Amino acid sequence: MKEEQTVQTSAGERRIIIRTIGMKKFYNRKGQITQALRGVDIAIFDAEFITVMGPSGSGKSTFFNLIGALDSPTHGRVFIDEVDVAQLTAEELAFLRCRKIGYIFQSYNLIPYMTALENVTTPMAFGGVQTDEARKRGMDLLELVGLKERWFHRPIEMSGGQQQRVAIARALANNPTVLLCDEPTANLDHHTGDEILAILQRLNKERGVTIICATHDHRMMNVCDRLLWIRDGAIERIARRDEVKVELGGID
Amino acid sequence: MLSFRRIVRIAFSGVRYRLFRATITVAVIAIAMAFLMNILGESLIKKSVAEAARSRIEELHRTDTWIARLSVPRTPEEIIFDQAGRAPVAKTCLDFFSRLDYGRRRILSGSAESVQIFDLLQDAEKQESFFAALANMKAIRFPVGREEFVSFLASWPELKQQIRGVREKEQAAINRIEQARGERSILEALTRADGEFGQAIRDAGFELDDREAETLAAQARDIMDSQLIEDTINHTELRQAVAARKDLLPGDITVNIIWKMLRDADSSEWYLEQMAAAGLEVSGLDAGRVRHLAERRARARLLVKAELRTADTGGGLMGIGQRMTWLALVSMLVCVVGIANAMLMSVTERFREIATLKCLGALNTFIMTVFLIESSILGLAGGIAGTLIGLVICVVRMFFVFQSLLAHAFPWGSLGLGALISITAGILLAAVAAVYPSLRAARLAPMEAMRIE
Repeated sequence: MKEEQTVQTSAGERRIIIRTIGMKKFYNRKGQITQALRGVDIAIFDAEFITVMGPSGSGKSTFFNLIGALDSPTHGRVFIDEVDVAQLTAEELAFLRCRKIGYIFQSYNLIPYMTALENVTTPMAFGGVQTDEARKRGMDLLELVGLKERWFHRPIEMSGGQQQRVAIARALANNPTVLLCDEPTANLDHHTGDEILAILQRLNKERGVTIICATHDHRMMNVCDRLLWIRDGAIERIARRDEVKVELGGID
Repeated sequence: MLSFRRIVRIAFSGVRYRLFRATITVAVIAIAMAFLMNILGESLIKKSVAEAARSRIEELHRTDTWIARLSVPRTPEEIIFDQAGRAPVAKTCLDFFSRLDYGRRRILSGSAESVQIFDLLQDAEKQESFFAALANMKAIRFPVGREEFVSFLASWPELKQQIRGVREKEQAAINRIEQARGERSILEALTRADGEFGQAIRDAGFELDDREAETLAAQARDIMDSQLIEDTINHTELRQAVAARKDLLPGDITVNIIWKMLRDADSSEWYLEQMAAAGLEVSGLDAGRVRHLAERRARARLLVKAELRTADTGGGLMGIGQRMTWLALVSMLVCVVGIANAMLMSVTERFREIATLKCLGALNTFIMTVFLIESSILGLAGGIAGTLIGLVICVVRMFFVFQSLLAHAFPWGSLGLGALISITAGILLAAVAAVYPSLRAARLAPMEAMRIE
């Protein structure tokens, strides 16, 4: 209850982009029921940068899948941009994933046989953008992440940091309102990770994209608005960055 | 939705990216389609050759047909069959009786055969027992209704009378022919079919146009001369001469060896000299003619061989025979399983890629289409390769069997159709085999993309 109030006060009049109500997820594997999430209530605002932290097995991935419309909860509800995900048909879900959400993966997940530009324009093709326009917009996005000159390279010809930047460009293809990042810096060295973080932060500030980032990376705390700790399938703590900084300093 | 070109491009890139496995899949399809095309092609070629051979053999036997026609009147059955339009019931019944096995015919009609059965059934009591016996034979259906048959039997004596009239006329004509040919054998007489004997044939009431007369005469002459040459086998001196020339024992010399030798220009000239020296009548012959006869015989033998080799055509799917149909079906089944396996592997290997595409907004139908098209591309490639391989093998093989006969009766059209069928079959098989794997791919949860290996 106390946490709810914190959210309310920090929110002001900002629009809520993702809201979950009593979200639970159980997995039934060979008769054994695993409670991955045991009731999560959270509201995420437009243009917010949220970092989700938690040890492995905490339900962090499940939380991600549910708010990213990749999976449906066993109980409770998930609203993305005021739409109840459970009510959507398969086509509408695909449309939602295509238009509203951008996904960034730990292992980049670029399509190996496509060039950087093709990777970026593929979601546009799914969204029905004309080829010429898709090309133009794809080049703009690649320029945004600083890879305009390498548009014809295939993933195998690029470094991890470059691949992740292409992945970011791809996630932005259809101007999504939410960017879901699953450990975007985990496979990268320190310096490249910083670059990626800088890009994410810029997107958040300049374009007002809501960014939800699952990470173990403590540098992420410096750039985010709020931090979310998940443990044992429930929210352990939500805090604004300025609240945490003090604590972090204490630890350091 | 996505343009078809883009779907094809994604599918094609998938193939190119995994070229090695795609090649193996293509090879599996190619082998199955080569097998299918091979048996299909062979049966089509055999069918076409069989048709050509049949008509040529008929041509070769024209003289025999005329000899038969000019020496005995047709039987009542032949007359009925030749003029089936006038007595359709009689023809149907004769057909029926001739196809019956011995035991059943025995029960139905005693010792009577063909038209005798109609005579037999004139008796009311016999008719009754005939229908009773027929009713007992559950497995057999009499092709004519009972009333129709009874009314036909009533009209039979009249028909029989007509047939007898026809036969008498034919006998009279044959008698005139016999007068015309006098002492000659009928074959000898036929060598003059383009002359006076032809006129006699026409006078006797047979129809014979000029072209038919010419071919008939030429053929009769060929047969006469061939017989003359074949008779030399009984001539000891000639036999010994051939044996010496061929370096064989005189006892080993056969007609075939002589004919084979005569296809060579030098040898035929030499043999004519030998024949003249042996005191045989060779006035009508020269080396070119002897060679022509030898060639004619070789052709006839090839035709007979072709007829034997093509005796098993027909039956089963598209005339490839029952056994081959099964083999083809089994090979296709194996092929389907192979493709399905390869496609399943492809799906399993690409599940992250598929899940990512779904995260980017791909519809299930899109994923399915990509995999079906990928499989169809493999099917097309395998189908074309296999069809070409099968076609080449079957044409080469058939050429060695039928030789020149194949060149005259090469079934371009039906082989092309067969190739089209086999390519289509390749694509269809690949598409069918990909249905389950592509369904699995389409059902894959997009959250699989989040999984880390």
